[in-house]
Amino acid sequence: MPDIHMKKFVVTRFDPDREEAPRTETYDVPCQSDWKVLDALNFIKDEIDGTLSHRWSCRMAVCGSCGMQVNGEPSLTCKQAVSELPDTIEVAPLANFPIVRDLVVELEGFLEKLQRVKPWIIRAKEKAVEEGTHRQSPAEHEEFKQFSMCINCMLCYAACPVVANEPEFLGPAAIALGHRYSIDSRDEGAAERNEIFRGEGTVFSCSYANECSEVCPKHVDPAAAVNQAKFNAVIDWATGLVLPRGGRE
Amino acid sequence: MKQLLLKLEPVVWLLFGQGILIGTILLTGWILVVNLGVPLGIVPADALAYGRAHALASNPIGRLVLLALIALPLWKGAHHLRSLSIDFGGAGRDTAVAGVLYGIAALGSLLGVFAVLGL
Amino acid sequence: MARAAHPEAMAPSKPGRTRTAPPQMPPKFPMQGRYRAYTIFDATGLVYLLMGFGVLHAVRALGDGAAAWQAVLAGWANPVYVAFHLLALASVLFVGVRFFRLFPKAQPPRIGPARPPPGPVIHGMLYAVWIGVSVVFVAILAGGIFR
Repeated sequence: MPDIHMKKFVVTRFDPDREEAPRTETYDVPCQSDWKVLDALNFIKDEIDGTLSHRWSCRMAVCGSCGMQVNGEPSLTCKQAVSELPDTIEVAPLANFPIVRDLVVELEGFLEKLQRVKPWIIRAKEKAVEEGTHRQSPAEHEEFKQFSMCINCMLCYAACPVVANEPEFLGPAAIALGHRYSIDSRDEGAAERNEIFRGEGTVFSCSYANECSEVCPKHVDPAAAVNQAKFNAVIDWATGLVLPRGGRE
Repeated sequence: MKQLLLKLEPVVWLLFGQGILIGTILLTGWILVVNLGVPLGIVPADALAYGRAHALASNPIGRLVLLALIALPLWKGAHHLRSLSIDFGGAGRDTAVAGVLYGIAALGSLLGVFAVLGL
Repeated sequence: MARAAHPEAMAPSKPGRTRTAPPQMPPKFPMQGRYRAYTIFDATGLVYLLMGFGVLHAVRALGDGAAAWQAVLAGWANPVYVAFHLLALASVLFVGVRFFRLFPKAQPPRIGPARPPPGPVIHGMLYAVWIGVSVVFVAILAGGIFR
């Protein structure tokens, strides 16, 4: 017989067709000792209130779908254990995002920022198939590997005070992913991305809160990426002053 | 104006970064002796008697150090206050705020150049 | 409930098919949890700005002559200035420690062929420079060197 502990879940609810603004609703949930917050939300939807809407998928912290504010902290609800939380648990949609419904936020804004940084290998000329694969040493792989672990869960955006206040800021994950490609030995697009990083949504808006890295569930350390990107952008800018860029596409 | 600010970001960031790094390192010693040590009598007053102070300051390295102590903290301060303004919902007024703050830092730096040259 | 964030924070370029509720600030911002240290970090900007002008004032006095210089030094014995300068010292230490913690990871993995030293080494070097330069600077100012 598993351990059952009653907990109160104060959940944000919002129906755009029927309500002016989000409100909260409180549910009493009998939580098993090994439950994550997601289990409790699914219990609420299955047993108490079928109108609750929330995103989730893999249940093992790799898909990035289930990010929400849990007691004020951005968390993956499939990862956050209920037993580690007090008896009253507030679950809200991710901060800094427009709220579509209940615990679901609008992600299109992020996808647009991500596209702007060109998160793919850019080559001046594609290698012909006959020439074989790109060769990359383990050391070269290590240089960017950490930044490739991003699961696009958006917790970093929910934590960043600059994202909250500057709509154009590219944001931690987009910059980290762009930077991941710029420092990939197979990539030749660093110059292009540095221009993007210095343009609208500039990386220099980052004000060293480091919150993104504190909340990242995959230890990507986007703050490191953003600040490395600043450094690279400055080197690029400085060499551009001294050396002409003629001939770049 | 906004495009100008974007173009100048790398410069401001460098000055801000050095403001933190060099400014912080130099300010530590300065505050300990000049702001606290001598005025409170912990450091003997003749250490910074006019003759000696002026000699140290008008040395070329002294002038450079003093200029760094004036300018770099100003840029660090200006950039951080701009961040603070944005943090509290100031995106709309950012161009104006940045202009004013960086203007103050630039003016202060220029006055600093004249001051160290005038030693 | 949390405060409103910028109304267009993370907004898509075209509105979605349904009405959305405006984005909310992270609830613990600005003075709870880790945000407190961050907000204070930004606020030290004011201290640095005032210190910059303070040094400017001192250098101008030094250029004006002995009387002006002595007046500035004597003025700093005033308790208000002492309190401010103690705050400035605390701010400088706080900023240094926080920035030095961030500095190693802000180095790119490679600049051309050169790799930066490992994080702890950079950390050690930064503190060595900070303490070393401060010791030398204090020694010079306090009359230990270049009498």
